[in-house]
Amino acid sequence: MAEINITDSKGRDAAVIAESVRVPVRVRWVDDSGRQVSSTRILKGTIDRDYSALLEKAGAPEKVADALIAGDPELDLEAAGTFLRDTSRVYVNSDRQVVHAISQVEVVRSPDGTEKLRRPKKIAVTNVSGDQPLLWSGKLLPKRDVFNKFAMVSKLQVVHVNGLTYDFLFGIAKELEEKKSLLVVGAGPKANQPLILRRGAVPYRGFLEGRTRGQEYLLLLHLSNIELKVPSPS
Amino acid sequence: MAKPLVFEFRGNSVEAAIEKIDRTKLYGYVETEVQDDTGKRCELATLIGDGHSIVGKGGSAIAYLSADGHWRTRAELQPIDVQGQPITPVKSSFDAPIPLGETATIDDFLSHNIHLIYQLLPTTEVSELIEELRSGTIFRFPFSYRGGVEASPAFLLLSADGVPFLCVGTLTAIEFTGPTATAPVVDEQTDGADEEDALDFSLV
Repeated sequence: MAEINITDSKGRDAAVIAESVRVPVRVRWVDDSGRQVSSTRILKGTIDRDYSALLEKAGAPEKVADALIAGDPELDLEAAGTFLRDTSRVYVNSDRQVVHAISQVEVVRSPDGTEKLRRPKKIAVTNVSGDQPLLWSGKLLPKRDVFNKFAMVSKLQVVHVNGLTYDFLFGIAKELEEKKSLLVVGAGPKANQPLILRRGAVPYRGFLEGRTRGQEYLLLLHLSNIELKVPSPS
Repeated sequence: MAKPLVFEFRGNSVEAAIEKIDRTKLYGYVETEVQDDTGKRCELATLIGDGHSIVGKGGSAIAYLSADGHWRTRAELQPIDVQGQPITPVKSSFDAPIPLGETATIDDFLSHNIHLIYQLLPTTEVSELIEELRSGTIFRFPFSYRGGVEASPAFLLLSADGVPFLCVGTLTAIEFTGPTATAPVVDEQTDGADEEDALDFSLV
C-alpha cells in the first residue's frame, strides 16, 4: 500500500492510498496425503567449486573431466542440500572475491544491440508521494482510443482514507466516467514525467480510469511501459 | 516456422503464427555493468548464512518439503485450487482450435494486467476476422503456450495501427469501494474517576 498525492480537475490535491490489485496465488501443491507442501531454496554448490574454479585448479578441461571421474570435486558433501536462509546479495569480482566498493554504468542499447550511450547509473527516486502532488494533466484520451494503443502491464486501485477523500475520489471517478476517457497521469510541474512508484522502480506512464456504481467508485491507475505496435524494420 | 494457432471464427478456421513483442524489440534495452575499483567486472551472488561461502548463478535450487519436512519431488505433487479441489492441467493452445465465441468489453480488458504481447501473423485468409476486430470487438479465450496447471486470460484485438495482437494477462482483484462505515465511538458509563485522573497533576 503506497501513499499517492493526486490533484483533481479543480486543482485540489489530497494524499490517498494506491493499493495493489494482484490476485493472490490460486494454486497450491499437495502431496499424496493431501497436505500442502512448501518450497525452500537449497544449496547445490558454491562458486569455489563451479566449473571455472575447477578449470583454474586443473588447468585444462580434460583434467577437469578426469577429476570428476576420480572424485567429486564439484561437491561439498557437508554443505550441498542445506537450506539457504539468512542470505545476503553481494557483488563478486572475476577472482570470486566479495567486492565492497563498486561503480555502476548503464549501457543503453538499441533494439539490434548497438551501443547508443554509456552513463553512470542513477537510482530513480519516487515521484508520486512527495510535496509535489501529481497534477491534473487535463489530457483526456477516450477509452476507445487507448485500450488498443498501450498495454496496461500493471495497475493500482486508488482508495480514500477518510470521508473527505471519499468525496474527492468519487468526484474524480465520476468525471472520468462521464467523459468516457482516461486521464494521462504524469509527475513533475508539467505532469509529463513517468511515474516512479518506489525508489529504483521501473518508470511507467500512468492512465487514470474512473467508474462508479451508485455510491461506490472504482478509480484505477493503469501503468504502461509498452505500446501495442510492431517493431520498426530497421 | 513455428506451429500456428488455429482460431475457429464463424465456422471457418483461421491460422496465425505468433511473434512475441517486448520492450527490447521496440525500444532497445539498458544493461548495467558493475566494476570494482580496479576495473574488474562484478556479478551478483549470494552470501550464505555462514558468512563466507558464496553461491553464484545456478548454485541453488528450489526443493519442495512436506508439512513434516520431508523432501517431495514435483512429480509426487498435485495442484489444487483454493477450495481444495484438484486442478485438471490444461493443454497447450497450439494443440487444439481456439473458438472465438466470447467477447470482452473495454472495461473487462482494462481490468486485466497484460504481461505478454504477441503479434499475429496470419497464414490463411483473415479479412472477415480483421473486419470484426476493426469494429472494436475484443475476443477473449483461455490461453496456455506450453500447457500447464492453468490457462491465462487472453484477448485478441486490433491495435490502433490496424495490426492484430494477442494480449495475455492476469485478472486483477479490483472492486468498487464506497463510503467507509466507521463504528461510532460510545463513551462507557464511568464514575468520573477517569476525569479525575486526567486532572491529576501528579501524573504529569
